[in-house]
Amino acid sequence: MKIVACYSNKGGVGKTASAVNIAYGLAKAGQRVLLCDLDPQGASGFYFRVKPSKKLTDERFFTDVKRFTSAIRGSDFDNLDILPANMSFRDFDVFLSRMKNSRSRLKKALKSVDKDYDVVLLDCPPNISTLSENVFKSADAILVPVIPTTLSERTFEQLLAFFDENGLPKKKILGFFSMVQGTKKLHSETVAAMRKEYGKRLLDVAVPFSSEVEKMGVHRAPVGTFARNNAAVKGYDLLCKELLERL
Amino acid sequence: MPDMLTITSGGDLRTLLRDADLGKLHLALDEGEGTSAFALLDTFDAQVAAAGLLLVLTDAGLHLLGGTEALVQERAEPDFIAQMPAGPVTKRLSGIVSPLRTLMTVAEGTLSRHGLRVLDDNEKTHLRGTLWVLDAGKAGAVSVSALTPLRGYDKTLGKVKAALSAAAGNGKVGTMLEASAALRGEDPALIGKTRIVMSADEKAFKAANDIIRAQLVAARRQEDGIGADLDSEFLHEYRVALRRVRSVISLFKGVYDEKQTADLKARFGAIMARTGRLRDLDVYLIERDRYLALVPEGFRPGIGKLFDMFAAQRDLEHAKLTAYLDSKAYEKEMARLEKLFDKTKALSKGPEANRHALDYAKALIWKRYRKVCKIARGIDEATPDEQVHELRIECKKLRYLMEFFAPLFGDAEVRKLIKALKKLQDNLGNFNDYSVQQAALQEQADALAGSSEPDTVEIATGIGGLVTVLHNKQLEERARVTASFAAFDSEETQAQFRTLFKPEGEAKK
Ligand SMILES: Nc1ncnc2c1ncn2[C@@H]1O[C@H](COP(=O)(O)OP(=O)(O)O)[C@@H](O)[C@H]1O
Ligand SMILES: [Mg+2]
Repeated sequence: MKIVACYSNKGGVGKTASAVNIAYGLAKAGQRVLLCDLDPQGASGFYFRVKPSKKLTDERFFTDVKRFTSAIRGSDFDNLDILPANMSFRDFDVFLSRMKNSRSRLKKALKSVDKDYDVVLLDCPPNISTLSENVFKSADAILVPVIPTTLSERTFEQLLAFFDENGLPKKKILGFFSMVQGTKKLHSETVAAMRKEYGKRLLDVAVPFSSEVEKMGVHRAPVGTFARNNAAVKGYDLLCKELLERL
Repeated sequence: MPDMLTITSGGDLRTLLRDADLGKLHLALDEGEGTSAFALLDTFDAQVAAAGLLLVLTDAGLHLLGGTEALVQERAEPDFIAQMPAGPVTKRLSGIVSPLRTLMTVAEGTLSRHGLRVLDDNEKTHLRGTLWVLDAGKAGAVSVSALTPLRGYDKTLGKVKAALSAAAGNGKVGTMLEASAALRGEDPALIGKTRIVMSADEKAFKAANDIIRAQLVAARRQEDGIGADLDSEFLHEYRVALRRVRSVISLFKGVYDEKQTADLKARFGAIMARTGRLRDLDVYLIERDRYLALVPEGFRPGIGKLFDMFAAQRDLEHAKLTAYLDSKAYEKEMARLEKLFDKTKALSKGPEANRHALDYAKALIWKRYRKVCKIARGIDEATPDEQVHELRIECKKLRYLMEFFAPLFGDAEVRKLIKALKKLQDNLGNFNDYSVQQAALQEQADALAGSSEPDTVEIATGIGGLVTVLHNKQLEERARVTASFAAFDSEETQAQFRTLFKPEGEAKK
C-alpha cells in the first residue's frame, strides 16, 4: 500500500481535479484505490456523488480504525473507493500521524474488511501549513500540481527549501505541470526553465488546460467518463503511468 | 462477503420494484441486449430449484442464478453431474444434485437481461446487479435479480429488502422453487415432495383415498422418464409411489372391505411385479464401483464381467417394462384405478371407513410401535435371522404410517421420531440388502453352472469372492442390531411416542 498526497500550499491549482482523475485512472488500470477526501468542503467526494458522512464530526473518529473503514463508500467504478469528507483539521492531524505511526495497523484494518488498497490517495485541503509536515512524513509520494507561472515557480521553490531545512526526503516530491496552456508564451517559457532547474523533481507529463475538466462539476464524474479522448484525460493517464513508475 | 439480495418474482420485477416504496431511492434499468433463447436445466424433481438456484443455459454459457454469487461456466448439455465439464457451476451443483439424477431441460423460452441499479437522489449507485427476465410461455414471466451493495451501502440493501417484503405481501416475490414451477408450467407442490392436506376429523376412508390418489399422480409422472431411460430414479420413485399405495391398502385395515382390499392388493401388486427385476439390476449397476472395491484384486475381472452381464440384462428388462408401460392394457388399468379413487363411489367401504382420521391413525401407529418394541426386545445375539427380518418389516410399516399421518401430528415432531427410527432402519436395511444380494448372486452363480461360456469360471470365482465379503458385512450389521434398537428405544423417544400416538383411554401398559 502506497500513500500518495495531492498537495500544494496554493489553492485552485488542480489538486482536487488531479486527485479525482488520477484515482479514476489508477483504478481503471487495475490498481485498488482509496481516495480520501480530506477537504472539509468535500470537493472530491462531490465529484463521485458521495454524500459526506454525518457522524464524521466525531473527534474519536480517526482514533478508531474500525470507524474509519466503515465510513468508506464504494464509488460507481470498479476498484475505486472513497473516504468522504468528514473531518476538522484536528482530526486530520490525528489521522495523518496515525498513517505514519501505525501504517501496518491501518493496513491490517483495511485487510480485515477485505480491502487491501494498492494506493491511498489524499486530496489535501488548501492552507494546511501547520500540518504539512505530517503529510510530508506520511506519504510515499507528494504530487504537486504546478501552474507554469512565476508565482507557482516560487511556491515550488519554497516547498523544496522547506524539505531541506527540515531534513525531509526531497525525492518524495513529484511536481507536475497543471492547467498548461501551450499558446501562452509565459507557460512554455516557465515550463522550460523549471524543467532545467528541478530535473527529476518534475514529472514529464503536463496536464493541459481543458474546459472539459471544469465540466466535471456538471457531470459529477471524472473527465474520462464523459470526454474520453480529451487531451487532459490523456495527461492524467500519463500521470498515472509515471506515478506508478516512481512509486 | 457482502450481503446480497436475490429477488425472485412471478411477473415482471420492474413493476414490482416500481410499486415498492423506496423513499429517496430509485431504480435504473438498462435496455439490455434484446431477447435470446434459454433452457432451464434441473433434475426432474427440481433439486436445483429446491436449493434456491436456477440453472440457465444460454448462448453465452451455463449460469447458476440465486447463489451468493452469480456463477457461470462454458455451455454444456445437461447430464449427470459427474459427466458435466468442470467449472464453478458444476462444483457448486455437485453438493446439491444427487449423483443418481440427471440434469435435463425442464423448460425453454426467451430471456432478456438488464443491468439493474438502485440510486439515491444524487444519482449515486448504492446497489447493482443483473435482472434476468425469463419467459417460457407458461405461467408468465419470472424475474430473478441479485443485488449487491457497493461498499458502505449495506443499509440501502436493508431498506430495499424491507420495501420488497412489504410488496411481497401481495404474493409477487417468491421462492426459486415457485419460479421454477412457473417456468415449467407445473404446480410447485408437485415438483417437490407430494403433500397431503389432512384434518383430524375427516374420515379414515377419505384420508386413505387422498393419499392413494396423490401417489397415483406421483407414479404416473415418472412414466415418461422411465421410458426415456433418463436416470434410474424415475423407476425408483415410481415404485416408491406404488409401494405407498399398497401400504395404505394393507395397513389401513378395515377402511375397505375385505374383497376390495384383496382386489386392490392384487391389481397394484401385478403392476409392481413388472418392475422388480429392473430395479434390482439398477441397484447392482449403481453399486458397481463399490462392489468392485469390496473384493480383493484377483476377483475384480470376474466381477467386472458379471456387471457387464447385468448391464445387458438390464437393457432387456428395460425394453420389456417400457413395452408394458406403453401397452393399451396398462393404460386402461391405470385409467380404471385412477377413476376408482377419483370417484370413490365404487370403492366398498370396510368397518373402519367412517372413523375419524386422528383416532384411527393413533390406533394404527400405537399398535405398530408396540409391536416393533416387542419384537426388538426379544432379539439377542442368538435370535434367528427371521426375527430380524420381521423387525425390519414392522419398522417399515411403522415408518409408512407415521409418514402418511404426519400432517395430523405436527410435521416437525414426527420428523424427529422418524429420524430416530431411520437410524434403526438403516441398520436393518443394510442387513437385509446384504442377505438378499448374497442370495441373488448365488442364484446367478447357479444359473451359470450349466453354461459352457468361456468366462463362466472367472465370473463364478468373482461371485464367490463377493458373496464372502457380503456375508461378513451382513454379520457386522447383525451384530449392531441390539445396539441400534437400544439407541432408538430411549426414554425420550418412548415418551414422545406415547404423547403423540397413544390413544386416549387406553390402559397404561
Ligand atoms: N486541467 C484543467 N483544465 C481546466 N480547468 C481545470 C483543470 N484542473 C483544474 N481545473 C479547474 O480549476 C479549478 C480549481 O481546481 P481544483 O482541482 O479544485 O484545485 P484545488 O483542489 O487545488 O483547489 C476548478 O474549477 C477546476 O475545475
Ligand atoms: Mg481542492
